[in-house]
Amino acid sequence: MIPTLFGVSIVVFLVVHLVPGDPARLVAGPDASIQDVELVRSDLGLDRPLPVQYLSWLGRVLVGDLGRSARSHRPVAEDLGRAIPATVELTLAALTVTLLVGLGTGTLAGLRRNSAWDYSSMVVALLGVCTPSFWLGLMLMLVFAVKLNLLPTTGRGGVDHLVLPALTLGFGGAAIVARVMRSSMIEVMGMDYIRTARAKGLLPQMVVLRHAIKNAFVPVVTVIGLEFGNLLAGAVVTETVFAYPGIGRLLVESIGFRDYPVIQGTLLLLAAQFALVNLLVDVLYVVIDPRISYEA
Amino acid sequence: MARRGSIFFLAVLWVALAALAAACAGGGAGGGAGGEKVITIAQYADAISLDPQDTNDNASFSIEKPMLEGLVGFNEKMEIVPQLAEKWDASPDAKVFTFYLRKGVKFHDGTPFNAEAVKANFDRVRNPDNKLKRYTLFSVIDKIDVVDEYTVRFTLKEPFGAMVATFAHPAGGINSPAAVQKYGKDYGKNPVGTGPYKFVEWVPNDHVTMVKNPDYWDKENGAKVDKIIVKPVPEAGTRIAMLQKGDAQFINNLPPAQAQTVKDDKNLTLIQTDGIYCYWIAMNTQKKPFDNVKVRQALNYAIDKESIIKNVLKGYGRVMDSPLAPGVWGYTKVMTYPYDPAKAKQLLAEAGYPNGFKATMRATETTENKEAMVAFQAQLAQVGVQVEVQTLDSATMTAERFKPLDQNKNELEFAGWSSSTGDADWGLRPLLTKDNWPPTNFSIAFYTNPQVEADIKAALQTSDPEKRKAAYADAQKVIMEDAPWVFLWSEVRLSGARANVGGITIQPDNIGYYRSVYYK
Repeated sequence: MIPTLFGVSIVVFLVVHLVPGDPARLVAGPDASIQDVELVRSDLGLDRPLPVQYLSWLGRVLVGDLGRSARSHRPVAEDLGRAIPATVELTLAALTVTLLVGLGTGTLAGLRRNSAWDYSSMVVALLGVCTPSFWLGLMLMLVFAVKLNLLPTTGRGGVDHLVLPALTLGFGGAAIVARVMRSSMIEVMGMDYIRTARAKGLLPQMVVLRHAIKNAFVPVVTVIGLEFGNLLAGAVVTETVFAYPGIGRLLVESIGFRDYPVIQGTLLLLAAQFALVNLLVDVLYVVIDPRISYEA
Repeated sequence: MARRGSIFFLAVLWVALAALAAACAGGGAGGGAGGEKVITIAQYADAISLDPQDTNDNASFSIEKPMLEGLVGFNEKMEIVPQLAEKWDASPDAKVFTFYLRKGVKFHDGTPFNAEAVKANFDRVRNPDNKLKRYTLFSVIDKIDVVDEYTVRFTLKEPFGAMVATFAHPAGGINSPAAVQKYGKDYGKNPVGTGPYKFVEWVPNDHVTMVKNPDYWDKENGAKVDKIIVKPVPEAGTRIAMLQKGDAQFINNLPPAQAQTVKDDKNLTLIQTDGIYCYWIAMNTQKKPFDNVKVRQALNYAIDKESIIKNVLKGYGRVMDSPLAPGVWGYTKVMTYPYDPAKAKQLLAEAGYPNGFKATMRATETTENKEAMVAFQAQLAQVGVQVEVQTLDSATMTAERFKPLDQNKNELEFAGWSSSTGDADWGLRPLLTKDNWPPTNFSIAFYTNPQVEADIKAALQTSDPEKRKAAYADAQKVIMEDAPWVFLWSEVRLSGARANVGGITIQPDNIGYYRSVYYK
């Protein structure tokens, strides 16, 4: 993982610096004279040669200092320290929605193939994949928060603040999980060992619960690992619509202002998070399916 | 190794983690406790800094203004009014400005407001080592003298007739020197001023809270509610939902397309402000064919501004009749270019372009800009000018715009500006003089005219308002005739409030005016 992160740091740094846009001018503002801009430039250290800037940044990162935002002068670590838990909370909540709704729907659809339930839930799944999340979010807000007054409109707080954003964010993933689970269940239920278990006299529910779901779950784990990345990205739109103070918003706003320290710090941390999650997924495979193992 | 139930274990683990995370999340900003009057404002963006000397964006200024006051300020109509100074005078040569301060005023931290505090405050911003963003605004100050405890005198390096307006600019907010000392680089997170509200906390990207200052010096115009909470909500649809539900009592940046929704709702009030922000299309006057005044005037006749205001802005705009908007000090009404495509074609023919020409128009990528650009393109095509439209994201557009003449690809640029000091100087000089050609400042039309340059210079050499107005009147006339821009419209800014709330609006310079909010 370490060499990966090192590579990521170089790529992130280069891409961020090569994209057109002058952070000094953006921070100083369109109102500012060129003296102001140059003052800001020297304050941000942008007048030094590129390799020097990279090494200086890397050096500080290795001792845990992610620098200060070019715009607000707040330590990047402080902003991330607030935004990351918020996004993790939202992502976990959305994953819960994805899993509960997706697994439940997909399993039942797979078991009752070609039934009314199967067809209707697959249509809803299709809609889920196609619906833009900002529209879904605004609609949910208008119905549940404004008209029915059941939930708050925006912001971060208790569980009630998470419901609408989690639904918005998790719906697309739930649709994908449902479809994958459905095909996986259909495949698994046709397997010989299922027939054996039934022949043994096991109750149908036990067959499904003990044998089928676990085996059908393997491709879903892959999907969820990938979906995690999508969740972090899709969180941007949901966070903007619900004014949720998470990483997505932080990153997009920083990119808009070419706030290099924040962009670099955030991307590096996100890469580390992503690598960690994929590591976890690999471990999970072994837990779920003992046939899979890695050479020690 | 537990195979059985491991799936359930995983599922339960997910739900438990989610519940745990949710439970650990701190409680959100609760409503006021028993009878406390709280106003929640949803702004389009969060503050970047709450230090007025390090701020150049309206979102931050809007939040600072109820807490930090200047020697002078702007009222809701952008007129200069006394604030921490009771009166002032200027030397005729516009080099020495003396302010007579209000007595008995205290900062929120209890330290006294006096001439020493004012000197410390402005010495801070004009010291280049502090690297504050508003350095240039006050760098014309040569020295600051404490004449006595409540009199302070500023001597400038060169004459600057617009200096009082500069002090009225929100960046002129006075910070408690003791607090600046205490917080150092973190002062931007802990503002301490003299205003009717004082700072409590700022959770970035979530909310800023300020409470009533019971010791405010102006008892009549003090805080009328107990607490103001400002939340950043970037999505306009969400702000409107919050207003409809009552989660916010005031929202700003209402898109014209949603104005009717707010108007139709009897629980809400639509607030209109005649803004001083002007929109125009800058033509690169150093590049053919825009170096020919007839071509520039032709384009002015070719655009149907009224139709665009009606259809794109839903009527919320006023055609420009001067390079400045009404409301800017020094504005005079000059003329408008009526919509006359026949005259446009005639002028183009006289200039040597009977069949028109091709050009590129650029602008920052926003929905409103795109709609307007499409209209421009269609209208210009009718007189034979084929325009290719390019929109760029704001950071790239800024980088392109500020390139020097030999590298700048500007032909036509749809942009806007407002004089943040409310004075004609800042509405003309950064935009239309040679010293302010990019990369120095925003003169993106690369325009220069000896008469205009002389007028603008003359208006700064004196503090006599009549002489200044006369100079600016002449400059505006010449600029309109010379047409370095296609003059479009000045904006009408829309905001919304709950019907039971008053005393809150947006100033013409687009900064929120929150300090006098009250419940009816």
